[in-house]
Amino acid sequence: MNMSETGRQWLHNLITQGQILPDQQLDWLDQNRQAAWQQMQSFELPDRKQEAWRYTSIDRLIKYNFLHTSELSEILPGTEIGEWILPDNSSYRLVFINGHCVPRLCNIQGLPRNVAIGCLRASMSTDGEVIRHYLSNPLFKQSSSTARDLFAALNTAYMDDGLFVHIPKNAALDRPIEVLHLNLAMDNELLILPRHLVVIDEGASATLIERYVSQGNHAYFSNNACDIFVNGNARLSHYRIQDESAQSHHLGRVNILQGADSNYKGVYLALGGSWSRCDIDARFSGKGAHCDIIGLYTVNAKQLTDFHLNVLHNHAHCSSRENFRGIIAGSGRAVFDGRIVVEKHAQKTDAQLTNKNLLLSLDAEVDTKPQLEIYADDVKCSHGTTVGQIDPKQVFYIRSRGIDEAMAKKMLCLGFAGEIFDQLDLPEVRSFVEQRVQNNLFAPQGQDVH
Amino acid sequence: MSVLPQDIEKIINSSYEHGFVTDIDADTVPAGLDEAVIRLISSKKQEPQWMLDYRLKAFAHWQTLTGPVWAHLNIAPIDYQAISYYSAPKSKADGPKSLDEIDPQLLETYKKLGIPLEEQKALAGIAVDAVFDSVSVATTFRTKLHEAGVIFCSMSEAIREYPELVQQHLGSVVPYKDNFFACLNAAVFTDGTFVYIPEGVRCPMELSTYFRINEAKTGQFERTLIVAEKGSYVSYLEGCTAPMRDENQLHAAVVELIAMEDAQIKYSTVQNWYPGDTHGRGGIYNFVTKRGDCRGDRSRISWTQVETGSAITWKYPSCILRGNDSTGEFYSVAVTRGKQQADTGTKMIHLGRNTKSTIVSKGISAGEGQNTYRGLVRMSPRAENARNHTQCDSLLIGDQCGAHTFPYIEVRNPSADVEHEATTSKISEDQLFYCRQRGLSEEDAVSMIVNGFCKEVFNQLPMEFAVEAQKLLSVTLEGAVG
Repeated sequence: MNMSETGRQWLHNLITQGQILPDQQLDWLDQNRQAAWQQMQSFELPDRKQEAWRYTSIDRLIKYNFLHTSELSEILPGTEIGEWILPDNSSYRLVFINGHCVPRLCNIQGLPRNVAIGCLRASMSTDGEVIRHYLSNPLFKQSSSTARDLFAALNTAYMDDGLFVHIPKNAALDRPIEVLHLNLAMDNELLILPRHLVVIDEGASATLIERYVSQGNHAYFSNNACDIFVNGNARLSHYRIQDESAQSHHLGRVNILQGADSNYKGVYLALGGSWSRCDIDARFSGKGAHCDIIGLYTVNAKQLTDFHLNVLHNHAHCSSRENFRGIIAGSGRAVFDGRIVVEKHAQKTDAQLTNKNLLLSLDAEVDTKPQLEIYADDVKCSHGTTVGQIDPKQVFYIRSRGIDEAMAKKMLCLGFAGEIFDQLDLPEVRSFVEQRVQNNLFAPQGQDVH
Repeated sequence: MSVLPQDIEKIINSSYEHGFVTDIDADTVPAGLDEAVIRLISSKKQEPQWMLDYRLKAFAHWQTLTGPVWAHLNIAPIDYQAISYYSAPKSKADGPKSLDEIDPQLLETYKKLGIPLEEQKALAGIAVDAVFDSVSVATTFRTKLHEAGVIFCSMSEAIREYPELVQQHLGSVVPYKDNFFACLNAAVFTDGTFVYIPEGVRCPMELSTYFRINEAKTGQFERTLIVAEKGSYVSYLEGCTAPMRDENQLHAAVVELIAMEDAQIKYSTVQNWYPGDTHGRGGIYNFVTKRGDCRGDRSRISWTQVETGSAITWKYPSCILRGNDSTGEFYSVAVTRGKQQADTGTKMIHLGRNTKSTIVSKGISAGEGQNTYRGLVRMSPRAENARNHTQCDSLLIGDQCGAHTFPYIEVRNPSADVEHEATTSKISEDQLFYCRQRGLSEEDAVSMIVNGFCKEVFNQLPMEFAVEAQKLLSVTLEGAVG
């Protein structure tokens, strides 16, 4: 069988694996799922002829027969999460294993009244109206909708569990919300489909730290989606750290809708995974909002890491900053696609996009595509991108001070990533991220740095 | 910032300066495209068998293709069977040897266009291979070039007289399978220009071809091939105007440049084809494939273009930097106004070591114009120490226009350095205020600022062209400020 036939078969298996959708007895939810299910049948498998998949082949996904399961039976009782979480009681903690919340490991003691943090499945009965309201927001549907592609539809069709955060009006959450998405790779090749919803109401503020990690060395595919609403005057700091095993496949979608004068700061780190892609979509529903998205990706061995950014300036007086840096070693491949669209009436938009890449080895590859699409005239927009290597003169300088070459290169790489580290406001997060980047870049397989 | 509304009205309504039709009895084949038409074109041009075979091969392949849809353009469907693929002025029949033999009406047309051949001879030492519709009718300064060993003639003549050179190089840079429009061109091209610079020769003058589409509904399929042998140098100018017509005219040209070791080719274009009326009707569809191959070490190809015309421009002059230490350059000013659309840019494919490329693109959008820069910079694994710098700036005039930037950067070598920067802005109130305060009118101020914005590109043009380009830009943008 050639690849396209294999692909068709794979797609067929994926959409007909016949899982019965969990019954929540919510008509609107079932309708959404059914609609997504229908749409899914009409989609073609993404291939490299499609602009959004030009540099990202899904061949690696097709090799596996991923199976979705809505049950959480085989979780090892002794699962340890210690190494991945922040020190005790410094945060509200939720733990999801294979996409399902594990109450035993969560800690939300002391949560203020009216603040809801929990799993989507349970919240359907308590906060059903809120969830319904936001998941059927028409403005938002355009971007998050199932209409976009196969994998988004797949996620919606199986929408069942995931993170749910609702911060009520004018509440300022005292501690960060820490969410650990732990994927246990068991014998079968799992398809994990979490769906998250984060709502920050008017004037409220919160910090959310998400980590995607894995245990075990089997392949799995996490196809997750996260819908974020930052309403008028609200503020959200969002850290999303993807740091999974070398066998993992990760497709994340983050859809952000910002109200007037709101502020969203997103920090996206992609450090692991065999194949990982993250699509970030931001748009506005009012004037004066600011969106700040920064990111760092380190790619090693045979990894593929892909970031797709799409910032739609559909209201006047909004600003956005995107700053992504990547370090590519081994035979890794990084893809960056950043797009800023300024609609006709979005005057006084101020948007900037930066992408810088450091290539460390002969086999590494980077494909970057920063795009501006501007239909308004009174705007300030710019993008810049660079691809380069470690400057031999800088290495020489450090060596002349008595530091060996490997160390010199390490210092320069960390210096390059430093601009992103500096934006990590939480010291705990910063220290583990720094540590992780160091380990990742200078693991034995990364020694072909020259 | 505002200009009196009636001024804008006046300028918007002013018709295309070069819009007239010369009434000449043209030898036109009926509309439609099939094998018979291709055989007819080939036989009318008395082409050898290999040329016909090439055309037929391309046509067979073209039938399997569909037009590209990826560009940021809104193109009405084109009926390729409604176009006539061959048109030659009849008066050409026996091939004129001097100006006296040329149809006086033709000469008149050139006068209106501002390129009187008689004066051209004396002027600035420019040899003009004037292309009227699809057959070149006059070539000047042939003798002088001949002495230098330079071949500068129409493509059909070259196919007859230098078949081995043409056969060797034609399609070697842009193969017929390259893309939809290049393939169509390979099947039906009627004429074009052939330039051959022998080893070590520095072409004694700037070569120039004026294109002009005249016959209504006649697609113009030009084919240009420039070969610069080892150590040679040539500068080539291309400029075009077209008369007013109500239907879209298709122009799908192919330009191939080949630079051998140490050779340098400088290719400059000023394009001012009819952009359509105020409702966007009519106007030229300009779908051009231009590519240069830096085949030898230390070779150098530079593209400079000033694009102000055409309803739709789809054009990506590219460089394949094959030879080590070769250099590719792309300087572009693209102006869109009214309902014009442009999707233009370049490709720099770095294959050899120490290759360098520079891209400077200036896009100006006014009225309802949509201007897109689309570029590819590819560093192949062998391209050690390759270097690219890209700068794309967009200037927006008016709130109905759009400026877009889609750069593709693919790097497969760690020693490569790639930089890309893009900005989008409008003429600031401060700049205008400053100029006006110094006694300049608003129009002059805008013209000055825009010319300053484009200066980097104009500096690359040969002197005569630079003057023309600057004037063209001011004329084009008159009244666009509001």
